[in-house]
Formats: sequence, structure tokens, C-alpha cells
Amino acid sequence: MRSILAILCLPAALLAAEGDEFFESRIRPVLAEKCYGCHSSRLREPKANLQLDSRGALRKGGDSGPAVVPGKPAESRLLKAISYTDFHLRMPPAGKLPDAVIADFNSWIAMGAPDPRADAPAARKAPAGIDLDKGRSFWAFQPLAPASGVIDRFLLSKLQQKQLTPAPEAPRAAWLRRLTFDLTGLPPTPAEVDAFLADNAPNAHAKAVDRLLASPHYGERWGRHWLDLVRFAETNGHEFDNNKLDAWQYRDYVIRAFNEDVPYNTFVREHIAGDLLAKPRLSKDGAKLESPLATNFLWFGEVLNSATDSVKSKADNVDNQLDVIGKTFLGLTVACARCHDHKFDPIPTADYYGMAGILHSTAMREAVIDSPQRAAEIRQAHSRATPVIRNPGKTKLVLRPSDEIWEDFNGANWDHWLPTGEAFANGPHQGIADSAGKGANELVGSLTSRKFRMPKHWVHIRLNAAKGDRSLVEREPVRLTLVADDYKSVHFLGSGKGEFEWVSMRMTLPYQRLCYFEIVDRSRTGNIAVDSIVFSEESKPPETQMLEAADWREPSPLPVTIPPSSFGMIAFDESPANVKLHIRGSHQNLGDEVPRHFLNVLWRSPEPPKLAGSGRLQLADWLTSDASALLARVFVNRVWKHHFGQGLVRTTDNFGLTGERPTHRDLLDYLAQRFIDSGWSTKQLHREILLSSAYRMSSRKNEAAAAADPRNDLLHHFPVRRLEAEAVRDSMLAVSGSLNPELYGPSVVPHISRYQDGRGKPKSGPLDGNGRRSLYIEVRRNFLTPMFLAFDYPLPISTIGSRGTSTVPSQALILMNNEFVLAQAANWAKRVESGAGADNLNRVRLLFRQAFGRAPEQWEADESLAFLKARPLADLAHVLFNSAEFLYVQ
Amino acid sequence: MSSNRRDFLCRAANGFGAMALMNMLASGAAKNGMHHPAKAKAVIFLFMDGGPSQMDTFDPKPRLRQDHGKKLPFQPPTTVFNISDQIFGSPFDFKQYGQSGATVSDLFPHVASCVDDLCIVRSMVADHSEHTAANYFIHSGSGFQGRPSMGAWVNYGLGTESENLPGFIVLESGLIPPGGLDCFNSGFLPASYQGTLFRRGEHPVADLTPPPGQADAQRDKLGLLAKFNKGVVDRFGQVSELDATIRNYELAFRMQSAVPDLLDISKETEVTKTLYGLDDKLTEDFGRECLMARRLVERGVRFVELLTPARPGLDRWDQHAGLENGHRINAKSTDKPIAGLLKDLKARGLLDSTLVVWGGEFGRTPCAQFGDNAPEKNVGRDHNPFGFTMWMAGGGAKPGVVHGATDDFGYFAVENKVHIHDLHATMLHLLGIDHKRLTYRYSGRDMRLTDVHGNVVRELIG
Repeated sequence: MRSILAILCLPAALLAAEGDEFFESRIRPVLAEKCYGCHSSRLREPKANLQLDSRGALRKGGDSGPAVVPGKPAESRLLKAISYTDFHLRMPPAGKLPDAVIADFNSWIAMGAPDPRADAPAARKAPAGIDLDKGRSFWAFQPLAPASGVIDRFLLSKLQQKQLTPAPEAPRAAWLRRLTFDLTGLPPTPAEVDAFLADNAPNAHAKAVDRLLASPHYGERWGRHWLDLVRFAETNGHEFDNNKLDAWQYRDYVIRAFNEDVPYNTFVREHIAGDLLAKPRLSKDGAKLESPLATNFLWFGEVLNSATDSVKSKADNVDNQLDVIGKTFLGLTVACARCHDHKFDPIPTADYYGMAGILHSTAMREAVIDSPQRAAEIRQAHSRATPVIRNPGKTKLVLRPSDEIWEDFNGANWDHWLPTGEAFANGPHQGIADSAGKGANELVGSLTSRKFRMPKHWVHIRLNAAKGDRSLVEREPVRLTLVADDYKSVHFLGSGKGEFEWVSMRMTLPYQRLCYFEIVDRSRTGNIAVDSIVFSEESKPPETQMLEAADWREPSPLPVTIPPSSFGMIAFDESPANVKLHIRGSHQNLGDEVPRHFLNVLWRSPEPPKLAGSGRLQLADWLTSDASALLARVFVNRVWKHHFGQGLVRTTDNFGLTGERPTHRDLLDYLAQRFIDSGWSTKQLHREILLSSAYRMSSRKNEAAAAADPRNDLLHHFPVRRLEAEAVRDSMLAVSGSLNPELYGPSVVPHISRYQDGRGKPKSGPLDGNGRRSLYIEVRRNFLTPMFLAFDYPLPISTIGSRGTSTVPSQALILMNNEFVLAQAANWAKRVESGAGADNLNRVRLLFRQAFGRAPEQWEADESLAFLKARPLADLAHVLFNSAEFLYVQ
Repeated sequence: MSSNRRDFLCRAANGFGAMALMNMLASGAAKNGMHHPAKAKAVIFLFMDGGPSQMDTFDPKPRLRQDHGKKLPFQPPTTVFNISDQIFGSPFDFKQYGQSGATVSDLFPHVASCVDDLCIVRSMVADHSEHTAANYFIHSGSGFQGRPSMGAWVNYGLGTESENLPGFIVLESGLIPPGGLDCFNSGFLPASYQGTLFRRGEHPVADLTPPPGQADAQRDKLGLLAKFNKGVVDRFGQVSELDATIRNYELAFRMQSAVPDLLDISKETEVTKTLYGLDDKLTEDFGRECLMARRLVERGVRFVELLTPARPGLDRWDQHAGLENGHRINAKSTDKPIAGLLKDLKARGLLDSTLVVWGGEFGRTPCAQFGDNAPEKNVGRDHNPFGFTMWMAGGGAKPGVVHGATDDFGYFAVENKVHIHDLHATMLHLLGIDHKRLTYRYSGRDMRLTDVHGNVVRELIG
């Protein structure tokens, strides 16, 4: 028996010894020299969690699974990597190994990957993973602590603990100036200052607060703060800086929401799922849906015009959306968990992909957002139109082998198309999609196709449409657009000949990218009718045989009035599905599918969420229920920050472990609770803060307090603050009398100087922006206004809750030499000359009162008068623009 | 120095001189490097916008001529435009130059004459196949818009030694790269670090000077302003930001006189002007940029970037078609000025402390790209970030070196790959900065130019 065993085992043992020898001589030296540098147990963080310095670790593999499958070279990732056959997996990165070495690895794996090394590396601490229960003990994830009192009591008690005293009350005029800038971003007028100083009523302060909260300029001011959070921009940036249509509609939505004090939880729900709400809000005139407009914020990020990697591009867009959602609403850097579990906060990568799935299931479309009532009015008017004969005739296409009819509109309904507005409401007829309905150019609407990967290099579309202007690109009101990877890439326009024609476009960039078509008619005088969409490898359209002649008439203006419609770029659910975990953030290395869910650290139920569609509605529910304590804390902190210069949590967009702890947690929780109890009323929150004694403090600090608490954490004085870029410009317009107080509407094209250049440069807008407030100047990503940038206007990249306040020479140069500033100084001088008469002293007084809300002191008047002996009034006005008192508020 | 302290000083005494001041406080960190002794004090980045072709300039590939017209023996990766796998041999001849014997094409005879000063990297790798992302990437280490450009990082780390000029200046001759001025932004760093575009002509900087005839008025205005501002301090109390804003006017005023002095090249000799090619219409534009770069470095400006000059009928170095003619014109426009800059810096003893870097956002494919129905002589090449050439000179870069290699076709870097992150790490290293320790806290993370990547390439350091 023994001898038989010995005989049987001998070759195996010999083989094993041979295998070990092979490993030691041919494989191990290569691993050690070429691989251990990044993949060994000695490293703190081996790349891709892959260690190749023990048998066990090598077979177990890293994030992407086993490195070697013994006996199966073809299934072994290690061999694939060193063979350089997979474009995205090439190891070692510095260069391919010699072919002989690769052949050795092949043989070694084929012989069973013999490996005499220890089974496991020297003891190494396993990655801990994230302990959610422990994570929940962090203050930001705790429920609101019950606290009662008034704001000042919370502040005072902390000051008293340090034996510090708060600054005395600021002069009343200084308070009003502070308040007016805070609530409207504009200086108080001399009349407003006079009225307030003359008001001896005990509730004079409250009346001033209420007056300013009721001002429509309040929404402009606070709307702009909000736009900083959602990286608001009106162009795509990147190479050509194309337009994001209707972005201004979102801007106006935000202004209205603040002015109308829409409850913040409603506002948040509308942002996430405004298109899905059972009872959407309507505009005041009842004509359009208000709620869906909020969802546009998801798409203010940069958009690539020619991503070579379509899948990665989409993942990057979703990442930006998640980053903005996480920071804006919850003050959490969720996007840090894209490649690995969050290194500090209790956010595992699975949470990231759970939320990413929701956004991957969400698409944007150009849509009519008429209210049901407005839609009914339009339908009613349309029904009274006399039908116009629009018979496209009958055709037969002679197809070549590579031709594929993707759509011929011969079905009875839209099937894979989604119509909005009345133009396409009646479905296809006679084998065409016609935006004129029964025969009314006044009808508008959009028709959006399902998504698909562009399979061929040419698209031929047979259409009959109003004459399009190619130079308008996406702004052409009547067009058929191919949207590739969320970029309005190729436009198929009509020639206006009144007959069907082929429009052929080469799919140079869209080829193999995720595409959809949209047929858009925003014109009340034109229309578009589409017959066939053909994909092909041929550059010429297929031959078209007419089987029956067309009888095509263009509609005349209707005798009945069709009421106007509104468009918006809004969200809708598209093919809801989970996504797979992207190992180390790579879309080319997918792990397990992750059910769509939210952040588990703030999920209270033992059951996973039950989702409908994309899950956005449930996400909105969760944000405003389970996550509501954090949601409220983050928002009240933002409001506090804009009133006091700094938040109670200094890191306004980061409430996680790497953020700062609140200076007054009890006060923060108190305000958050009050905010929720008030029905999430932002205006009530303002009222409570603005009427506190703390808000009335002087900005003159006492030395003892400044020495004990130089950061002013305990708020012993009111900080001096520099105006934001927009407030600097708006103040100039306001005092010079050039401010155009008009609210809302499409943006004004920015003024472009010769120092701004690059692709996508627009034709310059007016120097003074038509006197409109700064938030109405179009936010063109690649052409942001230099004056704004000099004063720390935020780049629209991601959430910016706290702007910088740097001091750069270009600020001084702009204030001294910029033509806009000089023009406003001249306007102001003219205004004062006519308002104050010929007397120089009166003029000086008026200038000071308009600029600073106070009369000049004697010496200031004297200096001014002396200056005016040699210089015109405009020069004095210009000096006041440059004064630190113009730029700073105490 | 902690970033908090840096921020504080930044805000308290911002402006061009501020960082120099800060560095004096930090016992001369700028002179000696931030983390270790510096070899380079300044960088001149010759940005070849559009992506020059490596196999037509500094990376000879005889195999391409041999196999001209044949198909590539492997499937090429996705490129931006129509994928082509038809091999296209270089229309240019190559020769060996200098002691080092490096091979350079006849597009760059003048630069080739400096070849012993060059540290040529033939194995560059980048991450993006299209211009805009690639431009952001080579400038900021990220393919997305809005990250700080390397010039901003360098100034954030070292400050400028110029009292009167910004520390990061970009010179142009009619072309701004795709991605626009955001290529030179300060991103999340304070605005003081953003690149300042100097345009051609008498008024290179926006809002630099008062309108004509207003110089006296400005003096009077500034006098009155100073008095008013003193009153503001009395009224508001001593606040560091106010103080900085007030002093800011002094800096701005100094800059007004520094720029005309910079632009006045009347004291440069004719020999120097000829050296830079200012006497030739074709080389004049880039020659002026190169000469300005030297003058800026002499004045203590830390990072100067030169942009590819506009040439009629050409779209930068981006020759998808008409490569032969396009590359010839681009090369002719820049070759002599670049060589002039290298020689002039060397003659003045500035080359040792000035790192000159040449390259585009990516290279080009070895394949022929045809326009629709275009004749064959109109052939071009597509974008290729998988292997391309850049070179460095001076500033501690190892002279007379050719590092790394692409495959036989010049498609992929295969030997000693140098990723853009590695290039950034190496550039920072030469400036005395450890790329892992030059960080700025943003979005809950300590952000770096090299993100979480990058290795200093020791072989490139002299």
C-alpha cells in the first residue's frame, strides 16, 4: 500500500517541486521587481487592494476579484493585465513586460499557479468598514436636542462663561444699512434712513424688517445666495459654451420661492421631485406648473460636447449631481464615497451607488409646463380651429443594406416618444409627427424620444419645417435635435420650402453615444412635421418613391387666440434601474448591483425603502423626514451665515467629521427646531435672527474680547463684511440712479471686453447690463464677468455656501479704471447735480447720504469742497465708489 | 506653514507682494523652496495648444515610413473623430544633434541646436482624448472646469518675488485654448493666484490705466481717497480686511507703472531681438512672447505661460488635416523664438533657475486621418493621449536626456511612462515643493495639483 502511494505521489511531488522552482526562478522575481511597488502587504494602501506578496492574497485578489485562477490562464486577471490586451487594464503601468515573461506567467497559471509562499501575508489589520451605529453618534446625525430660550440667551451664556461682554448697540443708521444690505443687497435710500430714524415706535425695528422682507428685492438677494449652492450657470462651459435653455426660469423660480416664503421642505421636495408631486404648485397667475422648474438644478453642471467615453461622462455628471445634493441639502461630502468608503464620514460606497442609481434613472427634457387649466384653455382653442389639409402623401423608401428605419410614425400613438404641450398632443397622424395639430402654427410643444446608443455614422431625417437658422443652434425655436450624452449635439433644421425634404447629418461625435431625439416647436408662427428617421452607413438618404402625391397646406393665423405656453428644462423618470457598484470609482470595473437607497446613517426603518420609478419622490420624502434634522440645521446655518458673516458651523457645506463643530450647538438646534415648528418658514427665521440684540451689536470690538476670542467664535461683536460682487455693482447702479428694478425674465448678455476671449464668445451685451441687477446678467461659464470674479464670485463648479473675500489688486484697478465704474460715477454726478442744485455743499451732502446712508462729517465736507475746486463732481462720486465705506458694511 | 496661517496672511496682506512678505516671515521659504532646496525659481510653460505630433517632431518612428499605408497590427482605442488604422509615415526627416545625439525632425532645427540642454520625455501619458478636458487636465491635473491651474498652485506655494506684477502671467498671440481662461484659473484657491492674461499691444491688462488724460485726476482722487479711508478706519475700528483693501491701492498703483516698463523693449539690443526672431513676420509673435517671458522672469514673476500664436488658416497644432503644411508653419513660428529664449536665458545665467517646459495637451496618432472626400496629401492625425512627447530645459531638469519610449508606431508609451501627474510632481519638486504636501482644504479634502497621484521622476532631475 505504502509503495503504491509512494509511486503515485512521486511524480506529483516532483512536479510540485518543479512548479515551485519555476515560480521562484521565473515568476517571483518579476512580481517583486515589477508589482510589489504598488501591490504588497507592506504598503499602507495597496493599489486596488491587491497584494501579490503572498499566495493567499494573490489568489484572493483585490477589489476586482481573484488575480489568478489556477489552471485557467484565460480567466486570470493577472495575465490579462500583463498581456496588455484590455485597453483599460494594463500592468505594469510603466510598460509592457517582454513577451517571454508573459509566456512564463501563462505557463505558470496553466500548471496550477504553484506558489510556495506563505498563505497569508504577515498580520495586517483588515479594513474596518464603516460602523453605522458609531457613525450615528456624531452630533450632526443626532436628532435635534430640545432647547428653549431666545437667541441672545444662548450667545450670552457662552460669553459669560468666558467673562466676556458683547459689543454695545450699533448706531440705528448703521443697523438699518446692515439690515438693508442683508435682505436686499442694496443700500438704504436717504428717505428710508430718515423715516427709520424718525420712527420712535417700540416696534420700529420690526417694521423695518417686515418692510424689507416684503420687498421683491429680498428674493433676488436670497435667490442669488441659493444659486451659489446649485452651481447655477446658463451655459455648458467646456469647448463651445453652448446655452442651457431656460436656466433663467429656474433662477426666477428661486426668486419667487423666497419672496413667497415657500416652506423650505416644499422647496427641497420640488428640487428633488417637482415633476412627480401629486399636487404641484402653480404660478400665481395659474398658467404654469411651478414645482417641476426646481428640478432643473440637477443639470447646471459642465457638459462635455465630445466625450470620448460616454459611460464615464454620464458617471461624472451623476457624481456632480450627488456632490451638489449632498452638500446643498445635508452639508455632507457624499461624493467622497465614489471610489471608496468615505474616509471620515459614515457613508459607505454602497450608499453612493444607491443614490447614484436614482440619478441614473432620471433624465432631463425640454418640456411645456403649462398648468392643467392653461392646457385645457389651449386645447379648447385648438378644438375650434378649422382643420387644414396637411396630407404628406404616400412614399416608399428604397432601402440599402445599411439603412435602418428607426422611426416612421406609422403607429397609432407615440409609443416610445413623450409629448408635452398641445402641439403633439393628438399623436401621430398620416405617418407623421406634426407640431401644427389640426393646423395651428400657434401651438407649441416638444416630443422626446427614448434613449438609444447611436448605431450608425449617418442619420437621415425626412421633415418639413419652418426655415431654421443654424447660427442659433439650440436657440432655434423650431428644430429636431439629437441630444448625445446630455449635449444638444446635432440639429436637423428645415428650409421652409413647404415640402418634405431629407436632412442628413454625419454622426461624427454622437456615434456610439447615449442619444435621444427631441422635436421642438417653440414658435407661434412656424411648425415642424417629421416623416421618417433613418440610420445608415450611407452619406446620402435612401431613394424616396412617391406612391401618392402630397397635399400640403400651411396654416393661416387662427381667428381664436391660443394662450401662451411656458417651457422649462425639467426632470422625468427614464428606465429606472439600479446601478452596479463601481469598484474604485471605475465604470470599467463593476461590482454588485446596489439597490437604490439613501444614506443609511440617516435611515430609520429596518426595511429598505420602497421605491416607485426612479425613487426621487421617496428621496424627497426621506430628506424631509428621516433626514430633516440635518436638513434644517444646514439651512438655518446658511441663513445665520449670511446675517453674521460666519455660520454657527463655519464649514457651511460640510457638517461631517472633517467640518468644524458648531460654536453654539444648542442655538443651532434651537433655531432648527423653531424653523421646523414654524412650518419651515424662512422669513420667520430671518425675523427672529434680525430682531435679536446680537444683530444690533456694533462692529467695534473691545480689546479684551478680541484677545480672548480672536475668531469671534462667541460673537462678541458684529463682524465688518465686504459686499459681494453683485452688491458692489448693484449699489453703484442704485446710487447713480441707473438701477432698473425690473424683476425676472431672460438674462442680459454680459458685456465682453477685449480681455475676454475664447471659443463660444458671445456678442457683447450692454456695458451697464441695461441697469439690471447683477443676478440677471447671464452666467456664461466661460465668460464670467471679470469684475465679479475679482470680487470672489464663485465658479459654478459645485456647492459654494461660503464665498471667499480675497483682496486683489484687480479690485482696486477695476474700481479706479473700469469703464462701467466711470460711467456710473458720471451718471451719479448728473443725478446729484439735478437733485441737489448748484450748491456744492448740498451736492456733497447728497452724495454721502446716498452712498453711505449718513451725512458727511465736517472735515469730509471740507475736503470734498476743496477737491471740487479743481475736479468735477463725477470725480468725487468716483472717489466715494472707491471708499472702503462703500465696499464694507459694519 | 499651515494653510490657515497662509489664508490669514493672504487676506490680511494680499496682493502680489503679499506672498513674498509671507515667505520672508517664513524665513525665506521661497528662495530655498518650500519643502526642500529648490533648483528652479520660475517656470516658463510653452503650451503647444492643439497637440503637436510626436512622430513628426521629437520621437522618430522609421517603422511608420516602412509600413506607410498599411493597417495597424492592433485595434486602436477610441479617438475623438473617425477611427483610422491606416499607418501614415512622417513627411519630415529626422537627424541626430549635439553631444547627446538626440534625434529631432527638421521641423525644429533651432531647438535642435539646443538639444544638449533639453530633457526630452518621449513617454508622456494623459487621460483625455479631447481638447477641453485635456487642456484642463494638463493645467490643473483634473479634466473638469474650475480647478486651480499649476501657475496658481506654484504661486500659492511660493508666492511671487515681484512687488508689482502678478505671479502667474499668460501671454497670447491671438489664440485662447479650448476651455478658455478657466485653464488659468485659481479654482478654489484665493482669487489672487489666478493667471492674468496679458494681451498683445499697448494695453495688455484690463483696467490697468485711467482713461487718457486722467493721470493727474487719478493722483488727486487717490489723495482724497486716502483721507476718506482713514476716516473709515476711525469709524469701523481696526479691521485687517479693511486695512488690506486700503493698501491694495498702493499695489495697484505700482502695477500701473511696472507694466509700461515691462513692455518697453527699446533697451534690448538688436542682437537680442534677432535672436528671438523679432525681425521676421512669421516668428515675431511668438518671439515677443518669449522675450516677454524672459523679462517677466527677470522681474520675479513665478509662472509664465506662453500660448501658441494664431496663424491664418490653421487651428493651433490640431492638424486633423493638412498636417505637413500646418505643422511646418507652427514649428517655423515657434522654433527660432524658443531657441532664442533658451540661449538668452543661458547667456544671462537664468536657465539654471528657470524651468522651461514645452508640450501640448496630448500628441497625435500614427494613423492617417482623412477629411470627407479630401485628397490624400491633405492627411492629418487624430488626438492621442496614450503616448506623446514633452520636453523640459533648465531649472534643474537633467540636460541632454531622452527619457522613455513609445512603441514602434509611436501610439502608446511603453517604456518609463511619465503621466501628466508625474510631470506636475516633478515640476513642483524642482521648485522645492513636495507635491503631496502642497495642499488646500476644500470640500472636506486636502486638495492637491496631483490629486491622489503623481510620482517625482528622479531620472529627469539633473
